Amino acid sequence: MQVFLQTLVGGLSLGAIYALVAMGFSLVYRTMGLVNFAHADVLMIGAFAASTFYVSTKLPFALAMALAIAVTGMIGLFIERVLRPLENKDFTLMLIGTIGFGMVLQAVAVLIWGATGRAVASPVKAAPLALWGLRIRTYDLIVLAITAAAVVLLAGFLQRTKRGAAMQAVAMDHEAATAVGIHVGRSNAIAFAIGAGLAALAGGLVGPLLYVNPTMGGPIGIKGFAAAMMGGCGNIPGAIVGGLAIGVLDSFAAGHFQGYSELVVFLVFTVIIMIRPLGLFGEMTVSRA
Amino acid sequence: MNALLRRRSTPRLGGLAALIAVVWILPYQLGGYAIHVVDIALIFALLAIGMGLAMGIAGQINLAQVAFFGVSAYATAILTTHNGFGFWPAAALAMVAAALVGILVGIPALRMQSHYLGIVTLGLALGFINWTTNASVAGGAEGISAIPVPPLFGIDLSSEYLYYYLEAAVFAAALAFGLFVVRTGLGRRLMAMRDDPLSAGAVGAEIPLLRMTAFVLSSVYGGVAGVLYVGLIRFIAPETFNITNMFLLLAMVVIGGRQSLVGCVIGAIGLTLIREQLVDYPSYTQLGFGVVVVLMVVFAPTGLAGIPARVRAVVDRRRGRAADRAALRPFQPYEPAARPDPEADPVPPTLDVRQVSKHFRGLTALEKVSLTVERGEIRGIVGPNGSGKTTLFNVISGFYKASAGHVRLDGRVISGVRPYRLSMLGVARTFQNLRLFGELTVKDNLLVALDRTRTYAIWRYVLWPAGIWRHERRLNQQADDLLARFGLTEFAKAPPGSLPYGIQRRIEIARAMAGAPRLVLLDEPAAGLNGEEVRQLAGIVRSIRDSGATVVLIEHNMGLVMSLCERVTVLAGGAVIAEGTPAEVVGDPGVIEAYLGDSAMADMPLPTPSEARP
Repeated sequence: MQVFLQTLVGGLSLGAIYALVAMGFSLVYRTMGLVNFAHADVLMIGAFAASTFYVSTKLPFALAMALAIAVTGMIGLFIERVLRPLENKDFTLMLIGTIGFGMVLQAVAVLIWGATGRAVASPVKAAPLALWGLRIRTYDLIVLAITAAAVVLLAGFLQRTKRGAAMQAVAMDHEAATAVGIHVGRSNAIAFAIGAGLAALAGGLVGPLLYVNPTMGGPIGIKGFAAAMMGGCGNIPGAIVGGLAIGVLDSFAAGHFQGYSELVVFLVFTVIIMIRPLGLFGEMTVSRA
Repeated sequence: MNALLRRRSTPRLGGLAALIAVVWILPYQLGGYAIHVVDIALIFALLAIGMGLAMGIAGQINLAQVAFFGVSAYATAILTTHNGFGFWPAAALAMVAAALVGILVGIPALRMQSHYLGIVTLGLALGFINWTTNASVAGGAEGISAIPVPPLFGIDLSSEYLYYYLEAAVFAAALAFGLFVVRTGLGRRLMAMRDDPLSAGAVGAEIPLLRMTAFVLSSVYGGVAGVLYVGLIRFIAPETFNITNMFLLLAMVVIGGRQSLVGCVIGAIGLTLIREQLVDYPSYTQLGFGVVVVLMVVFAPTGLAGIPARVRAVVDRRRGRAADRAALRPFQPYEPAARPDPEADPVPPTLDVRQVSKHFRGLTALEKVSLTVERGEIRGIVGPNGSGKTTLFNVISGFYKASAGHVRLDGRVISGVRPYRLSMLGVARTFQNLRLFGELTVKDNLLVALDRTRTYAIWRYVLWPAGIWRHERRLNQQADDLLARFGLTEFAKAPPGSLPYGIQRRIEIARAMAGAPRLVLLDEPAAGLNGEEVRQLAGIVRSIRDSGATVVLIEHNMGLVMSLCERVTVLAGGAVIAEGTPAEVVGDPGVIEAYLGDSAMADMPLPTPSEARP
């Protein structure tokens, strides 16, 4: 039981990171139907940027994070602008285009920061908490708290602001949204920038947990995608549940299968998604012939 | 005729001979390292063909191609070094392993498409990489070395020059087979599935089997590449099969042109050579490839292979398009078939819909709909928008499963049967909003529907290609006849999307007739047609009926319904509210009410104030 709970708790902080990745991914997916394969590499750039501002420039962690989010937000705006001609037209091409951007971002990261990568010291020095015999790292709690705050802010933005409402309208029907005077391109750009910002947040937070290097995006990104799909692509609450689920699954797989954990995670994910292709919360839509 | 054919193929044969000569002489011009690079380029080209077949031809996003490549490479390496197999037996087993993994990776494609499939295949590829780096049998991060040189009749294949000839021969055979597939029935069906899986199913393409076929083809090409790679390098390690190389492969296919196998080959060879030139600057190379992929996707989505066609299209537009000058010829009626005498020879009705209901969660689209259409009848189905007409067609043609009730075709229960089976049984349909295969020519659109072979007959591609070839010639003749009958001969080579709406409607009817159906379902065939075209349509529908088929059409154009249909069924709110001859139906108060609201109200005298107050 003790081991079970410890594994569960251990999975939650990475799960929160996956949830952030999945949220950014879902936000972009539901507004423009685009699967952003560059998302993982945006995360990696965010992780590098945050660690550079924090470690090299010696800025406070929160400020370093804010700067990293701003930088990746700009990258998001740029990617959206370049691919805008394809929006709502050919999703396969957009998908390949974002893979192209991913290649570019990885190459840029190697050119700026080198291929080897770096370790980032945890910003909190406090000793782990002991709670009912479980050891909980304080940094894990911070990750969970920041993720929760991000969820609340995003939900508030989407539901309480005019821009957020416009974004929801574009997600439902981009043509009708144009007809009522919403600038679809701009709305998509903002969605993309927020998605990139969420990726940077995830990247900045994951820095002290893992090793920051140019290819780190791959596994985290794909697990983030998997989380989004498990929750039902485009479904924000689903993304959070999916993220935590993948994190916990990851943690248990690492405990039981050691080196093979990744293989096990993807096999389990494939089976789940085969059984429920639209995710745990996805709605079946009927295509009209 | 024969002489003409020979003359036309002479330049092609000449080109082929020149190409063979170049391939033959090439090694004599190259140094030791250069030939190594060429050997690698050919392996990437094989991988790219497999990827092109899955992604470009069949439209199945496959990001597991490096895993197929890796499975066969690792299987060969393990079987030769651990289990003491000879190289070629190991290679044969490795191919089987790659094909099995192809089936495994393809299974998710039965349930999901596009980006979902991309993520699942990429995840499975990551899982494979994870296995190679951990399994002790795979040598972990160090990989496997000391793989034996493949023996071949005493030829020393440790020489990269001699290995080049082996690769060139295998590659030529693989490319020829790929092109054979793409240009014959299987390729057309795969492309039809890519363009529109729904209507491909409706013309008899077995979608699940075709998706698996695409993945198996892809994995077999990956498998061949893996075996050749192991024989060439004789050492393998996990980093050869990583995600970076997967995306490099994707870049090759996209830049070369994913819908053209030759384009994929050009992309693969070109990018491999460029990468070798810039081997000291790998990051800049990756940066460059990434930028080119983005630019290609935005400005030249068909890749390098698509550029000639784009240039031609621009030139044609400047000069005035050929398709604009081409004219739609009149329809040539079918030979009337002898109409059966129902008195002497009682037959079950062609279409018998009994108490069919269809619910979408809470919404009731059809409620206990019954109708019977006799053989040789033209039946009209009318009703306000949202009354369930198209849903009824979708149930009859197998797209939807009825929630209750059943459908019979010539007395045989067909509810729950898949669309491709129904197509084989003689049910054909058109679609309200045109579902032609956009990237295929008009003739290929018809050829897809003319091909009545079951999809499992593709075994002949491996065992009896001559049979395929003969079948192809017969189909071509039939397609020419069908084009001529529908007056479409001059549009044979045009992509349907470039043609006027009325012509596209006619192509769709021709495609429905290609399978010589017993029952033809036409969903709003007159929508968007002008008066003259509607008149021609009436003639076509009558001729289709005279040829022995039964026609059911949904139509809002009441003039057409009145003149064409013997009986009309009226649907409203998912239920049949009237049935009879056109004249009976238009006078029916229930029908008037459904169309105009409660018209009886309008006829009632307005109540006077005195009457209103008792």
